[in-house]
Amino acid sequence: MKVKPVNHAKAAEVFLQDEPHLKFHDERLWDMRQKRDQQMHILPEWQELRARASEIKEHTLAHLPEYLEQFEANAKKNGIHVHWAADAGEHNRIAGEILEKHRAKSLIKSKSMVTEECDMRGYLEPRGITVTETDLGERIQQLDNQMPSHVVVPAVHKLIPDVAKVFAENYQTDPNERDPHALAEAQREAARPVILSADAGMTGGNFLVAETGTFVVCTNEGNADLSSTVTGLHIATLGIERIIPRMADLGVFVRLLSRSALGSPITQYTTHFRGPQKGGEMHVILVDNGRSQRLGMDDFWTSLKCIRCGACMNTCPVYRRSGGLSYGAVYSGPIGSILDPTFNERKYSTLPFASTMNGSCTNVCPVKINIHEQLYKWRRVLAEHHEIPFVKRELMRMAGRIMGKPVLYRAAINSTNAALGNLPRVALYNWMNPWGKNRELPPAAKQSFHSWYKENRLKKEKA
Amino acid sequence: MNSREMILARLRSNRPDPDVYLLPDIAILGDQDRSRARFETSLAGMGGAVLERQGEETLAAAVARRFPDAKIICSAVPDYEGTLHIEDVTSPQQAAETDVMVVRAPFGIAETGSVFLSEAQLNHLNSAAHLAQHLVVILSEQNITANMHTAYTERQEFHTAHYGVLMSGPSATADIQGVLIRGAQGVRSLSVWWE
Repeated sequence: MKVKPVNHAKAAEVFLQDEPHLKFHDERLWDMRQKRDQQMHILPEWQELRARASEIKEHTLAHLPEYLEQFEANAKKNGIHVHWAADAGEHNRIAGEILEKHRAKSLIKSKSMVTEECDMRGYLEPRGITVTETDLGERIQQLDNQMPSHVVVPAVHKLIPDVAKVFAENYQTDPNERDPHALAEAQREAARPVILSADAGMTGGNFLVAETGTFVVCTNEGNADLSSTVTGLHIATLGIERIIPRMADLGVFVRLLSRSALGSPITQYTTHFRGPQKGGEMHVILVDNGRSQRLGMDDFWTSLKCIRCGACMNTCPVYRRSGGLSYGAVYSGPIGSILDPTFNERKYSTLPFASTMNGSCTNVCPVKINIHEQLYKWRRVLAEHHEIPFVKRELMRMAGRIMGKPVLYRAAINSTNAALGNLPRVALYNWMNPWGKNRELPPAAKQSFHSWYKENRLKKEKA
Repeated sequence: MNSREMILARLRSNRPDPDVYLLPDIAILGDQDRSRARFETSLAGMGGAVLERQGEETLAAAVARRFPDAKIICSAVPDYEGTLHIEDVTSPQQAAETDVMVVRAPFGIAETGSVFLSEAQLNHLNSAAHLAQHLVVILSEQNITANMHTAYTERQEFHTAHYGVLMSGPSATADIQGVLIRGAQGVRSLSVWWE
């Protein structure tokens, strides 16, 4: 049986019906975007940083085999075990084998999108390994059996009562607790004994440095540093695209990352791991899982520049008003919509359409990925591969015919403007036009720019 | 062919033309101010604090004043006693009992108010810096570098330490309805003492 495409529009509709959640979600993410803007305005060199970051990443991606080999050699020299995982299955097997070798039954871990991508918990838990997410947001999502809805703030779609309910069910706290400080404290109290008695620790990572064999983890809660240092066994999982050439290049990326993500100048913890601690053991798993294929896609390879800051999600009007879970994928928002189809073209065929094409994602991207252009290009690819439903395809065909011919377009616009004023609602807000759901069309301009120009400017020029 | 060879082979055949994408020079951008004032402003922005010296008081007196209820004060510096020394702490479980940890940072960063700690400052018990409830960091004004670019180009620690953490204020979270909470899972507070 063919896999069914994610019904993003329908899931978004459900999200839109819950006014308090929708309002908070929209405002919270927009607040993050505004804080990012404040940071940007403080730094006159912001655009230069973005340009540098983009250039460094593009250079590194074009030299990926050499830099990965350099990283591996240096990391090994420092006593790190380096593993290569071609896909999710191999990643999980490697992690499982390391844990089995140490007879580890309890794993504490910090947030990692790669382990989500590999569904590692789903692999380890049936094998008798208890996996405890230690990041607060990620833990809330684990306890609630949901995927993270945002790459940086995994539980951003939840309100305080939702967290209170999840914690009451799992930590025996008061279900009516409304003080976020008390709830955060409950997580600290619950996590500490688990951390102190765990057999192994795991983290993701933000950067690999080829020059030194270092990997870097940027976090805020302190849970990643606890997860990596307490047990003596540290496994880190990173996508192969996370690499940069030199230690000094970190300056560019660290300055951009948290400013773009949360609007803070740096994460509370920026931790550089270059080798195991005394008496400990350290493993790095380098994960491909489709990345080497993506590198060969002319229109889409630059999506590998992504540093997972989430700025494109925070600024996206569709993401803010549909929620990360509505994308039905590990990666949501604009960046998710261009990454996900590379994992499964049919299943995620609807996601590149979850965009207004306003280009805001591209404008805020710290590594200058042309996200909205890639969204557009994905639409073309999906149309060519017949992964688009009939109605959308036919409407696009019609639109293409009209927009391709100026005379037809102008005739259509003039009659549309006349029609928009007079048509009954049912003609505009029907099932053929999902844009009409939960939103009103702005009033049509009385006159098109083209006809105004003809009347005013052309006349004046002639006169 | 094993996975390593397979991945590398695929990358070699799929990558864009390497000659087109050149590596830019190392960037030293931004404000080069490495003053104590800038460091303190940045530190406050990240939720950290300065432990101000009152009169001629010693560090011990200042710690006692700031943390009157502290029972276990773990010192990782030779010139301060505390109630126990880090060399006497043998496990993370024992380190978790610590109320206040006192440590000396080799450098700080003015742009972000960050302090650097590695195994060299923590007697290889890296978890101690995160299991303590509060952290007091001794820092010298001479050892402030201007920003992230200067830190990564000037400081050799990034090339020598196995574990190197830049701590910028205390642990924090905003995962519950966006409310910023200082003191998440690591230290609840971070104070800098100037020497």
